This record gives sequence, structure tokens and C-alpha cells, in this order.
Amino acid sequence: MLLPWEYSVRNLSRRPVRTGLTLMALSIVILLVFVVVGFIRGLERSLRVTGDPDVVLISSINSEANLESSAIPARTPTLIAASIDGTQSRYGVICASPEMYLGTRVTVSDREPAPGLIRAVTTAAPLVRRSVRIEEGHWPDRGEVLVGRLASAKLGMTDEAVAIGQTLTFEGQTWKISGRFTADGAAYESEIWCNLEDFQSATKRQDLSLVALLLKPSASPGEVSLFCKERMDLELRAVRETDFYAELQQHYRPVRLLAWTVVVMVAGAGIFAGLNMMYGAVAGRIREIATLQAIGYRRRAILFSLIQEGVLLSATSSLISGVIALALLNGVAVRFTMGAFTLRIDGPAILIGCGTGLLLGVFGALPPALKALRSSVAVSLKAV
Amino acid sequence: MAIVELKNVCRSFRKGEETITPLDDVTLEIHEGDFVSLMGPSGTGKSTLLNLVAGIDRPDSGSITVAGTEITNLSRGQLADWRAANLGYIFQTHNLIPVLTAYENVELPTLLLKQTAAQRRQRVELALKAVGLSDRADHYPRQLSGGQEQRVGIARAIVANPRVVVADEPTGSLDAATSEQIQDLLQRLNRELGMTVLMVTHDREVAGIATRRLILNRGKFLPS
Repeated sequence: MLLPWEYSVRNLSRRPVRTGLTLMALSIVILLVFVVVGFIRGLERSLRVTGDPDVVLISSINSEANLESSAIPARTPTLIAASIDGTQSRYGVICASPEMYLGTRVTVSDREPAPGLIRAVTTAAPLVRRSVRIEEGHWPDRGEVLVGRLASAKLGMTDEAVAIGQTLTFEGQTWKISGRFTADGAAYESEIWCNLEDFQSATKRQDLSLVALLLKPSASPGEVSLFCKERMDLELRAVRETDFYAELQQHYRPVRLLAWTVVVMVAGAGIFAGLNMMYGAVAGRIREIATLQAIGYRRRAILFSLIQEGVLLSATSSLISGVIALALLNGVAVRFTMGAFTLRIDGPAILIGCGTGLLLGVFGALPPALKALRSSVAVSLKAV
Repeated sequence: MAIVELKNVCRSFRKGEETITPLDDVTLEIHEGDFVSLMGPSGTGKSTLLNLVAGIDRPDSGSITVAGTEITNLSRGQLADWRAANLGYIFQTHNLIPVLTAYENVELPTLLLKQTAAQRRQRVELALKAVGLSDRADHYPRQLSGGQEQRVGIARAIVANPRVVVADEPTGSLDAATSEQIQDLLQRLNRELGMTVLMVTHDREVAGIATRRLILNRGKFLPS
């Protein structure tokens, strides 16, 4: 038989200052867990949703995962269009997007230059990058750029600094912002898109970084790979876009591991907060616990009640932290080398955050409760 | 018929290098309806004996049968269940749970019994009435006087209608007037409800209310 629920609830109000401080400590710990889990979820999602299984990226054979270092001949799209039947055609346009991709210093108004990501494209780009939507403004004309939803975060600026009509300077040229696009959370959202010819002229380059091909559902990426292998003179490699970003995810594995390590360490600190509170709470109740045993309550009933106290406290902390995380952290932009992404406090993140909170309650209460219950009842009844 | 039966019970403790033997081959029988007081100098094993009868301590040797159950070989869990059904414990310092009201404190032992909420309520109200505290049911221990707290402790000990009530110096922390009230109450419980009471006390006057007086010295009973 269990002890009444009221016993656990009212015990929390016995030492309000101690309970309040523990509540605060646990809330901070759980909030930190939310930050880290939101970071991991955001990063993973950004890389996951960027890949389109029907898109194949053709880049220089030596570039590996670094598209910035790729340089392929400007005639590659024409050759591919003529040689590969599996390329999709939309509105009479072959879905092959020639692109230049470059990380460069970008100056916004009179501020200090910041590292930005530029993708120089043609009008074929939105046909291949199917998630891209122009939210406001228009497709860039000559001397104009389209900025992604998270470009401001990547540049470390406010959204107002990269609003439509503002100007950016990069590669020695000033560009006017013509519009703003989204891409369902994909990595492109942190990029600045400009006209390919303009950018080639600004950088005095004639080559391309890559060609993105949208294949028909019936076509195989193997067909593109075969073409790259046969045309050894072009030194091309083809990789399905989803595989490219999966490979990138592997590059970020150490970051994710580090983040999980932080989760474990932070949770460990939380357990100590819980332990401290419960040791204090139980130490002053040795005689009371012995009394309950003398009355006839089994040790497991008392243990359950003490754990209930810890869990009640940690559940409240989880709730507080969850609300703060959803209100203040969800959607906050974070910069990283590949661009920017937003912290994502989604279902799994809430589950992990609150689950960690509840575990803190259990493991924080368990050792002091067991210690108190191991003592002799006869001796504890005389405890001061 | 004996409701409490101790046969050749020994209990010793180690205190540093020294071994203390408060109970040495003790044999005792207490009959149903007895009111037994147990006196003796400090450290002579009164409380040890009480704790053994209450099943919260174990003898080194010998057997203890209370309310028809040989309790010496019961597990901790079985002992807890046995206490809930057969034993009421009155503590020297009442040991009430501070976050529960007088009513809830008295109700605690009844939660361990298979009873409906209505039956529980009836028992708790009866127990509080028996100790004259029906009007203090909603008060928390901090809102009660020392004597009232002890009376709530007594109500808690008798609420489950136990076969045996053990009392460890129930008047030890009370003033003379309150002590007298508690003595009257214990006497009434024994006389009117027929409860078997084993009470440890230092006070010869308090011991005087018992129907049978035992004196324990150096682990043995002395003739009273």
C-alpha cells in the first residue's frame, strides 16, 4: 500500500527556499539539455532536408565533400543534357542547374565584413531545388541577389540589415537585395543567391562549381555516374544529393558526439542538484521515515513516495523549461560552417528534455531514500 | 492465553570493543487484556524489549510470538504487514507527520487495511473521539499542544484496532497535568476497549496505572 499522494506534495512545501532553489537549478539544467538537443535536432534536420533523392550533384572529381574547391568546365551542363536521357524537363526547360558556390566575405552597409555563402545560379535553379520558395520580392535581375531566410544569421546580422532594397558588397561588387526565399529548413536558407553570369564576371571565372541535375523518377543516378566515368577528360564525379548530405552528416559526427557528451554532463550536474535537495529533505526526516515503517508501511512504499517527491519537482522543472524552450529557443538561428540552421524544439527534443528531467528526479531521490531506509528502525526512531 | 510470548530471548549490541547485552535469556508472557508496565534503569533493555515485541528489532536468539504469529523469522516486508494488522505503537515524542493533519495522521494505519473509504472514515472519527480531539481533526501538528499531539499519536496507535499496543515512555515529554490525562486515556483504552498494552516508563507513578508491573535490570526481570 502506498502513502497518500498529499504526503509527497506537501513535503515539497516544507522547506520552500530549498525547494525553490532546487527547482531553479533543475530548470536550468533541463533548459541546457533542451538547448543542446535542439541544436542537434536542428543541425540534423538542416542536413537531412537539404538532400533531394531525385537530384544528382556533379562536381570535380577532386573536390570530395567540399564544393567550394570544385571547378568543372562551363560546358558540362550542355554535355550532360545531351548525353543523359534521365534528366527531367519542366516547362520545356531541362532541369540541370549550373552553379558556382563560394564562401566569401560579405559586407552589409557600413558594417564589418562577415563570412557568407554565395550560390550563383541561373533560372534553372528553382526547377531543380524544388523546396525553394520566394517569400517576398522577385527573382534577382543583373546586379541583384536573393537572400535565404537564415542568411542574416549566417552573416551575424539582423533581418532588417538584409531586407529587400538593402545592398551587399562581395567580390568587389555591390548587389541589391531583390527578394527573400525559404527552403523548408534546408541548408540553402543561409545562402545568398545571385546571377551566375554576374558572379562569373565579378570573380573573373568561367568555370562552375557543380551542376545539379533533377532526374526523372524512373532514371538512375548510376547513369550519371557512368557518364562521369566514361568522360574521364572532364574529371567529374556524380553523387546523389541525399548521399552528399549524409556524408556531410558524418563530418559533423564529432560535433554531435560532443553535444551528447554535454547533455550527459549537464544531466550529471542536475543529478547532483537533485541529490543535494533530497539528501537534505530526507536527512531531516529519518525519524519520520522510521515512524512510517513502525506503523506498518513497507520500505518500497516509502521509497516510492520519496521518489514521487523528486519526480514531482523535476516534472515541474521540465514543464517550466519546456515552456521556456518552446517560447524562446525554438527557431533561434545558429551559425555554423555550412551556413546556419535553427534550434529545433520538436517532439523528440521535448521527449528527451522532459525524459532527462524525470530521470533526474528518480536518480536524485534514489540514493538518499535508500540510505534512509537502510538504517535500523529502532535506532532511527530515536534520531533527533 | 498469552498474546505476547518471549522465550529465552537474548539481544546484545556491540559498542566499540564492548558488547552490551540488554536482554539475556528473557522469558515473558503477557495475556490478552493485560496492561503491563516495564520499568528499570536506563540502558537495561526496556526499549529493546519493546522494539522486539513490536517487530522493529530482531533477537540474537530465542523466539517471540505476538498475537499468534512467531515473528522472529518473518522478513522485513512480512513484519511490516504484521505490524499494520496487529500492532499499535505510541512513541515518546508522538512522531506525527508534520505535513498531515491530525485526521490524516490517524488515517495512515487504516490505509494499510482492506477497508472502504467509509469504513476508514468511521474508524478515524471514532479514534479521534476516543482521545477527545474530534474538533481538532483538521489541525496540523504544529497547531496542537504537546498533550494534544500525544493524544493524536494514541489515536493513530489504536485506529486499526490492534491486538497489542506498545508505548515507549508515552508521558516522558509531557508536563504533569498532561501526563495525567494521557495516563487516564491509556487506562480507559485498556479497560473499555480491552486492548493489551505494554508500556515502558521511568516514572513509578505512571507505572502504577498498569495492572502488571515488571522491572528489568541487567537483562533480567526482577520481582516487582
